[in-house]
Amino acid sequence: MATQPINKAQSFEEFCRESFNPKKEFSKPEVLKGYRVLSCTQYILGPSCASYLAELGAEVIKIEAPRRGEAMRHTTPFNEPFLYPLSRWVPERGTGLGFVGANPNEYFVSIDFHRPEGQALVKKLAAKSDVFVENYRPGTFDRWGIGYRQLKEINPRLIYCWLGGFGGWGPGRVRASYDILGQSQGGNFGMTGKQEYLGGAPAKHTIWLADYWGGMMGATQVLAALYWRDHVSGEGTFTEYSQVHGVTRQLEYALPLYGKHGITRERWGNWDTQLCVHGIIKCGKSSYPKSENPQELEEGYIMISAYQDQDFARLCKAVGESTLATKYAKADVRIKAQSQMEIYPALEKWAADKTKEQVAAVMDANNILNQPVWNAKEVANHPHWNERGSLRWLDDPTYGELLHQAPGYKMSATPPRLKWALKPVGADNERILGEVAGLSAADLKRLEEQECI
Amino acid sequence: MAAPQAKVAPWPAVPTAKPEEVYAGLSDQAKAYPLFLESILRPEHNFEKPEALSRLRVLDCTTSMMIGHWCSSQLSELGAEVIQVEPPGGDPLRKLTPFGRQEYMFEDKETGEKVGGQFLHEMRNKSSITLNVETEEGRKILRELAVHADVIIENAPPGQWDEWGIGYRQLREINPRLIYCWVGQRGQWGPLKDKPGMLDPIAQSACGFVHGTGDPKEFGGQPTRSALWMADHVGGSCAAMGILAALIYRENVSGEGQFVEATSAEAIIRILDYSWAWYSMDGSIRPRYGNWDLAINIYAVNPCKDGYMMVGGGHDRLWYRIWRTVGDEYPAVEEEILGDQRLREVADRLAHNQQVKTYTLLGEWLKDNPRADAERKLSKQQVASGGVLYVNEVAEYPHFKYRQHVAEYDSPHYGKILYGTTPYQQHKTPGRLKWLGRPTGYDNQDVFRRLLGFTGEDFARLQKAHVI
Repeated sequence: MATQPINKAQSFEEFCRESFNPKKEFSKPEVLKGYRVLSCTQYILGPSCASYLAELGAEVIKIEAPRRGEAMRHTTPFNEPFLYPLSRWVPERGTGLGFVGANPNEYFVSIDFHRPEGQALVKKLAAKSDVFVENYRPGTFDRWGIGYRQLKEINPRLIYCWLGGFGGWGPGRVRASYDILGQSQGGNFGMTGKQEYLGGAPAKHTIWLADYWGGMMGATQVLAALYWRDHVSGEGTFTEYSQVHGVTRQLEYALPLYGKHGITRERWGNWDTQLCVHGIIKCGKSSYPKSENPQELEEGYIMISAYQDQDFARLCKAVGESTLATKYAKADVRIKAQSQMEIYPALEKWAADKTKEQVAAVMDANNILNQPVWNAKEVANHPHWNERGSLRWLDDPTYGELLHQAPGYKMSATPPRLKWALKPVGADNERILGEVAGLSAADLKRLEEQECI
Repeated sequence: MAAPQAKVAPWPAVPTAKPEEVYAGLSDQAKAYPLFLESILRPEHNFEKPEALSRLRVLDCTTSMMIGHWCSSQLSELGAEVIQVEPPGGDPLRKLTPFGRQEYMFEDKETGEKVGGQFLHEMRNKSSITLNVETEEGRKILRELAVHADVIIENAPPGQWDEWGIGYRQLREINPRLIYCWVGQRGQWGPLKDKPGMLDPIAQSACGFVHGTGDPKEFGGQPTRSALWMADHVGGSCAAMGILAALIYRENVSGEGQFVEATSAEAIIRILDYSWAWYSMDGSIRPRYGNWDLAINIYAVNPCKDGYMMVGGGHDRLWYRIWRTVGDEYPAVEEEILGDQRLREVADRLAHNQQVKTYTLLGEWLKDNPRADAERKLSKQQVASGGVLYVNEVAEYPHFKYRQHVAEYDSPHYGKILYGTTPYQQHKTPGRLKWLGRPTGYDNQDVFRRLLGFTGEDFARLQKAHVI
């Protein structure tokens, strides 16, 4: 694709809108066209890793247990919303929403890994794949004869990506893990939440953060390994991502501080330990006092950022706090814990008779950075995310209209994209196992009857 | 007021376990796989191996924002040459330190220049040069540097660099192979483009994350931010994926770079799992549910005797094992759970009142068990469990020390620094730490001489004009 000459008349924003236009994604090529990824994964960490590659155009084949699929399909809030059918064999059940977002654009195949015939199928597919992603307990696939030690002999170019909780070696290698355990033991959980002196407790990052973000870390490493294979060495590799390790990597200044001074970073609630004002305050009034949904009757919250001296001075003027303006004019005084304990309550007192939108209007008028704390409904209906294609109505070929998240970044020439949300268990058995693994119609029928696929 | 000078014991306070201790008593067969992994993954072997991205040169021109630094760290840990381009005097983030405490900062032995732990922790394998792009001469130098770069990352206000003649549209004319990445909180185009925002938790608040984190109001909770600038981390990871994808496409197909954009808010929107699908089905606003989970029971953190304890096991196999463990000490609790018809089916356990009952009864057991005991008892049953660890415990956790999730770097500038190591463990091209932290502009001489052929005269003139 030749570089277009600069159109001087075009504003930068128009240029961006055109370059990243979500409606033009399908007229552009895909980065990982022709790359095949096997995703032998369950829950979120492994599946999301493979899905980021599927967003880039790789042919990702997700392999699940026959009939009922993997555990995440049976996970949904309060056990209420489901997408039907679960599979052609179990049409009366559905796939839970826990599965949505972790497996877009993939092909769905069912194979029983426990059986020799199933393992032989995995080997056939792995011989023709570029990437192999799995997140079973360490050593399980090795025991089944389809681990890195065996597959690298069949396919030395294979990039074998293992993801999991604690990693496959060391004293804790046999421990099972989930996202929430990764957060708990990695260290970000204990730091998040309301301050101890305000009666707070450690708080979980509500998303399956260690899983979904861990999957990105896995995918990043896979992309680097693909580049190294294709342009340097020709060799595959084995990558090990421990999600608890990933979380520990995220702790910012906490480890340097502990190492040097023996001081343990504590919770500091919705404020910031390094900048003031740079925190979230409560606004006394609900934005929707007449709503029939009790959730919307809750008071609003807003993030305010005015940590430079001149910004803080404007903030104090806007909220009528001349005492604070003088007392805390300097950043190095303002940032102290005791100062913050006085400043934020004063701001909340001022905001007690306002909605978050009213507070935002005052901040905007005074050129002070702010961001109302939006709930999922407010985000879903905001034109910004819609125009940018970050959240979009997907006409899913199997399940119909669905609001769905799009890839987390944009590319002008080869945009990652969303094609479908998911498919039923084993939906692509005939196509993949027939065309890629060479099974005849009779083989397929027999294996299906034996519940091997 | 000077802080009291406490004597801090060297890390680690408790020695790290040795392999023969870790694998003692195991059969050869049981040992074979973990020892194979050790042989291919042990970080001690990292420097015997090549780096995946050693051919890549990255100019990280972002300042005052974590997303760009996090992004370039992902690339530098995997071997890219990352040059941090800072304004003269340094990135303002260098000055950040918790509660403004100067004594928490790290000091360059030679010049006395201080740097906060936050910035230092991301300055891994990066060189530092100074360049004032607000001057015409600075921009001219940037254009010259761009010729030599594979990747540029910047986070100026939307359109600023374009207006200055150093944006994507202009730099691609100079270097068509350049991958140009803009990072920010909400985006450089679209209705919110002119709503400024620098650091997280702006993005956390804008995407639904803060609203969804913390206890429900009825439980005394409120929307809660991550203690970390977490959305900037996730956004930086997204940016790194986009850059690597662009690199692969350039090398495989086009020979040309492209424009990449990543924002902290959209990165979190991508991973806010079923929030959007649920809303689209019946208009539900995903509620805050504290340390419990809307979709799995048992899967929660609850108070225990000495802190907070995670216990997980939503499926029958684990569910009954958990209650058997509890029943060893509280038979009546196990009996109550097993006898409740409404807790028989996995699906029925998810109703809110059933979760309340579950965790109330589990709490009976947890209140008498410290984290270590609870974990030991549940682990016997292969139930995923563990305490919420604080940083001092993370730093000393035996498994983490053994695997070097935490390590100490002895810096020629700053002395010993405890840090979180890269999780990019790998057989052939592992990520690694080569150095941590550089004083502001430390690499000016090297980079400007090596890439642009600067002379001593150039340095003197440009320093005087505050260009570098």
